[in-house]
Amino acid sequence: MFREKVELSTRYIAIIGNPNAGKTTLFNALTGLRQKVGNYPGVTVEKKEGKIIFSDGCSATLLDLPGTYSLTANSPDEKVATDVLLGRTNHTPPPNFVICVVDASNLERNLYLVSQIIDYHIPVVIALNMIDVAEKSGMTISSKKLGDELGVRVIATIASKKIGVDELKKIMQSNVTASLKARQWSLPKVVKEECDELQTMLQGTQHLSEADAFHEAIQLLTSPTALSEHLDRYAPELLEHVKKDHERLDILGIDRQSVFVESRYEWIKHVCEASREIKSQSFETTSDKIDKVLTHKIFGFVIFLALMAMMFQAIFSWANAPMEWIGEGFNELEKNVTALMPPGDIRDLTVNGALAGVGAVVTFLPQIFFLFLFLGLLEDTGYMARAAFIMDRLMSKVGLHGKSFIPMLSSFACAIPGIMATRTIENRKDRLVTMLVSPLVSCSARLPVYVLMIAAFIPQQKVLGIFSLPGLTLVSMYLLGLFAALIFAWIFKKTLLKSDAPVFIMELPPYKLPSLKTIIMHTWERSYLFLKRAGTFILGVSIVLWFLATYPKTERATPAEQLQQSFAGQAGRLIEPVIKPLGFNWKIGIGLIGSLLQREVFVSTMGTIYNIKDSDTQFSNLSLRQKMHDDIDPHTGVPTFTILTAICLMVYYVLAMQCMSTVAVMHRETNSWRWPIFQISYMTALAYGTTFVVYRIGLLLTA
Amino acid sequence: MEIFPRSLSETPVGKRVRIHQLESKPEVCHRLRELGFCENAIVRCVVNGEGNLICEVCNTRIGLNHSIAKEIIVSAFE
Ligand SMILES: Nc1nc2c(ncn2[C@@H]2O[C@H](COP(=O)(O)OP(=O)(O)OP(=O)(O)O)[C@@H](O)[C@H]2O)c(=O)[nH]1
Ligand SMILES: [Mg+2]
Repeated sequence: MFREKVELSTRYIAIIGNPNAGKTTLFNALTGLRQKVGNYPGVTVEKKEGKIIFSDGCSATLLDLPGTYSLTANSPDEKVATDVLLGRTNHTPPPNFVICVVDASNLERNLYLVSQIIDYHIPVVIALNMIDVAEKSGMTISSKKLGDELGVRVIATIASKKIGVDELKKIMQSNVTASLKARQWSLPKVVKEECDELQTMLQGTQHLSEADAFHEAIQLLTSPTALSEHLDRYAPELLEHVKKDHERLDILGIDRQSVFVESRYEWIKHVCEASREIKSQSFETTSDKIDKVLTHKIFGFVIFLALMAMMFQAIFSWANAPMEWIGEGFNELEKNVTALMPPGDIRDLTVNGALAGVGAVVTFLPQIFFLFLFLGLLEDTGYMARAAFIMDRLMSKVGLHGKSFIPMLSSFACAIPGIMATRTIENRKDRLVTMLVSPLVSCSARLPVYVLMIAAFIPQQKVLGIFSLPGLTLVSMYLLGLFAALIFAWIFKKTLLKSDAPVFIMELPPYKLPSLKTIIMHTWERSYLFLKRAGTFILGVSIVLWFLATYPKTERATPAEQLQQSFAGQAGRLIEPVIKPLGFNWKIGIGLIGSLLQREVFVSTMGTIYNIKDSDTQFSNLSLRQKMHDDIDPHTGVPTFTILTAICLMVYYVLAMQCMSTVAVMHRETNSWRWPIFQISYMTALAYGTTFVVYRIGLLLTA
Repeated sequence: MEIFPRSLSETPVGKRVRIHQLESKPEVCHRLRELGFCENAIVRCVVNGEGNLICEVCNTRIGLNHSIAKEIIVSAFE
């Protein structure tokens, strides 16, 4: 009994299926985890493990995989899935069996993958998902009949409502086998003869299993490059044989490329007819009607821009009030702590180091919340795939295709998921270009820097009667990042990474009402991560910074002089000559050095050093932005910040690659140091150069 | 009288046609076939704007750009 349990717990079960079939939703329902779900193909691009515990206490490891349309992988994310399935990776053991998630509303295309899995004799159980969607579009599918046709067990599920999940669990505990039926789809007679012959030869000479030999034979018969590519792998006699086969089939007028796919679809048609009943068929669905407007060549673009404008409105205006509350809350807290604790270093550390640093960052929680909420809505309604579709025209102008736009949109949240999302791009060079430029798109970590600078220095004015100047400034910063990304994509595509214009083929899932629960949960999770980072990483950095900004202590110095003499002040003054041409002084230098780790650190650094500097005037009730606004160098009488410095600083942050995590992900995804180093170099040079130009022009204009 | 065969990109919205032949690069053709655009499949055009088009094949919508749509040759169905 005990042994059996151990054996079960080491069982490895993989979830596979077409993109957007509901694999992750099912994975979450089975494991209780909360992996990201979204209504567009390509949400999951990595394998994710989870533990599933059955009612009898046994457990097994479940693996969520990216979606794939077939076992011939076309892009890196599909390769992750097929490699696991065919046991071609060393990182994970071959799964004991797989759950194939089939989208019932789109049975034909989904069964294509199923037929390949059956051919490989992989033990499989089918989760016939989205039966609610299928019902709604007027078809009924009998899972019993489908199972009989395929020779495997089929469970009808609605993963998003956890329907059928228990039944699936029960089957997972039992012995799952490969299809009980032998390969059923049949090739035209001549093709079959050639294929069988080749398969026997391969089994003999290459010692392949029957399934592998069959697929290798298909590969050799269809692929136009098979002969030249495999020169060293196969014996000359075999290659000679393949060549003769090609000639024979070509003379008979058989299209070698299409015959295999067509034969499979022929069989699939039969399976569908036997198990599916179509009650009513509507040609134009609601989704189609919406698409006529949303993907229209002019309206589509206008609506996209309007949606973006709304997002910035939310971030800038709606988030303002909660931001003030949080700011006041922290101020209150600092005041109380100051009153409670005896004066001394410990109090300074707590108030000026920890609270000021963390508080400065946490005030931006509302903005982060709205940003994620908005992106979540785009993802869950199905609009994301449409955005890629609309933007394909623009992207093709710079030599990329619409799929490259999804990583850029994801980069509004963070460049890391953005870079991961490039795995759906088929062409290696196009993928690299997209990875190189995605961090130019303004991520959520830049948002606090922008908002702080804008709130402190950009006057509240109306432009053209309707737009507010601060709001416009924020939008300009985002646009600057996007334009830079597009321009550099074009440059890279023309020089370093030349390749043909890619083809755009993308599934557009039907629109659906967003599930508020999922979105709020996801938004909350991201906001929580932001808070957690503020409470751990930012807190640590703020404390270290407080030490660096307080020591060594100088006798009888004013706090301002003290700051200048401190380690941090010395470091800031050390780099001052380098940043002077951009209009930045040593205080900004401290922030720039700190934010090399992460961009938000700039804000916490400002929080800490301005609190230290002002600590002579008892407790000041001024907000950080006012302190920054009022800061004037006592010797020279020059203010640290002017509108121009604020703009220069924002421009610098738009373009500079100040994020160690992005470097790490680039290294992992490209498997080299060359590209991340290149990326840091070009972005830093770009940021420095552009800021310099902006500063010079600004000086001329204000002179 | 309509003239067939012609390219998918010339198909008006709402019209159903039958795929006759694919003329793209072999890898692209293979992918198209696996997605359901295989010979003899029935395709309906949902959106056909200036740049890209959306087609329905096997009950799913697939977005394509113009250059591939030009390489998909279709014949009459209705
Ligand atoms: N109506 C309905 N919607 C579902 C069902 N299962 C999943 N969904 C929705 O379908 C969408 C796609 O779900 P995911 O779980 O992200 O799909 P996936 O297969 O993991 O997709 P990729 O990771 O992109 O390959 C989400 O919006 C889900 O909420 C279902 O049974 N019925
Ligand atoms: Mg997924």
